[in-house]
Amino acid sequence: MADIPITTHVIEFPYTRTLGPVIGPFLTGLRDGQILGIRSVDGRVLVPPTEWDPETGMPLDPAGLVPVGPGGVVETWAWVTRPTAKHPLAHPFAFALVRLDGADTALMHAVDAGSIESMATGMRVTAKFRDERHGHITDVVFVPEERA
Amino acid sequence: MSQACAIVGIGQTKHKKRRDDVSLPGLVREAAQRALDDAELTWTDIDAVVLGKAPDPFEGVMMPELSMADALGAAGKPILRVHTAGSVGGSTAIVASNLVRTGQHRRVLTVAYEKQAEGNAQWGLAGGKSGGMGAGGIFAPWMRSFIARTGSPAHIGPMVAVKDRRNAVKNPYAHLQMPDLTIEEVMESPMLWDPIHWHESCPSSDGACAMVMTTEDLASASPRPPAWVLSTAMRSELGMFPGRDPVRPQAGVECAQAVFEAAGITDPLEQIDVSEIYVPFSWYEPMWLEGHDLVGHGEAWKLIESGDTDIGGRFPVNPSGGVLSSNPIGASGMLRFAEAALQVRGMAGEHQVDGATVAYGQAYGGAAQYFAMWVVGSTLDAVAAKG
Repeated sequence: MADIPITTHVIEFPYTRTLGPVIGPFLTGLRDGQILGIRSVDGRVLVPPTEWDPETGMPLDPAGLVPVGPGGVVETWAWVTRPTAKHPLAHPFAFALVRLDGADTALMHAVDAGSIESMATGMRVTAKFRDERHGHITDVVFVPEERA
Repeated sequence: MSQACAIVGIGQTKHKKRRDDVSLPGLVREAAQRALDDAELTWTDIDAVVLGKAPDPFEGVMMPELSMADALGAAGKPILRVHTAGSVGGSTAIVASNLVRTGQHRRVLTVAYEKQAEGNAQWGLAGGKSGGMGAGGIFAPWMRSFIARTGSPAHIGPMVAVKDRRNAVKNPYAHLQMPDLTIEEVMESPMLWDPIHWHESCPSSDGACAMVMTTEDLASASPRPPAWVLSTAMRSELGMFPGRDPVRPQAGVECAQAVFEAAGITDPLEQIDVSEIYVPFSWYEPMWLEGHDLVGHGEAWKLIESGDTDIGGRFPVNPSGGVLSSNPIGASGMLRFAEAALQVRGMAGEHQVDGATVAYGQAYGGAAQYFAMWVVGSTLDAVAAKG
């Protein structure tokens, strides 16, 4: 009997997203190596930027997008001892709320600190962009400032 | 249900194959802003928000009621999510109206949407697997059964398709605009699921609908004529059980009885001026006319064939063009309810039915197992005024 050829197909359905006038530039900014916030109705800088003011619901003007960081302060954090395949880093790291310089709200992101002993609330970190970027939130990771 | 509830603001988006000019929240926001503008109210005037949409896997945005709170100006306010498959737009409007009627809130914003281009509804319906039957595949045998039971001629479905597409030309928000469609073209178009031809099937649309509802005292200060909620009803049943009649689901029969009785309607054909009924596939127009006892058994096709369901006919159905012309699934039910309200406000534009004072909105969903209905009037005594 002749060998039966076997082919493997992976069937998947990709969702698409239209990002709109605020999240679109934010992700494009990441691809370009820059983090953007947006000015809220009461004058604060929100990071990540939102299309509408969280307090009043008014539309926020994309002209109010402003660069923030790359440095910032860790407001709070949790150590991930055993990362899974879906985590942003393959080795232990911290999820932290990072308030970037020039921002009034904190961004949740990964801090690649090496060890839990290197983490502390109030520590300075800075954005480290990957060489190959795609306009995703994973284009960037934070590292302790003294190691940057 | 002691208090009156008025619809004072109505908004909808232009329904299109793909709205890639706006984000998902931006699409919903567009309809909501138009409803607020119609009511001449601002976001801060709203006390609560009620949101409805079809199953989350359709776009892959889970629990959008949480992530859209800022877009809907809901910070610090109650936000509710309603979920009853394709009928959800109707159920959502009813939940919103109940918040006013029970005195819970004085001004409620209700929204419903679908951004079909960002996902795939048939894939979502199949639980994320390929090979699902699709809605048309489920409904087609029931339509064949209806045709066999009633002796409806084969051209009735195509007639409904042509009527709704021509009505849609009078509605600037409608997705499909096919002013020259003919019955012959419908019958010659590809057979998708016998008896449903390509042109007898709804499109896949991006779109949203919104309404602002309020109390009687606040409605009197509204700049434009309100529509009044005269009655509402919801019923559901299992999609499959021994002895079920899916051609004439009992939940639909009882829902219609309840909504007409509560509105004081004893002769729907005479007392209702215009109806917006959920017809995603052409044959559902005669099926619901009979399934909700608007006409007797075997009578629906005659009503349609005589042109009585056209604008200007005795019993106009879907002057907006209906689901056959625009189907942003989650919003489609609310569009039926909102279009009914627009008619009694006299604000339906080119597809206005002259002098409409009582209108019926209906939505169904799932395997024809969820029903939501309301009757709206130009005044609180609009039915009684008909004598």
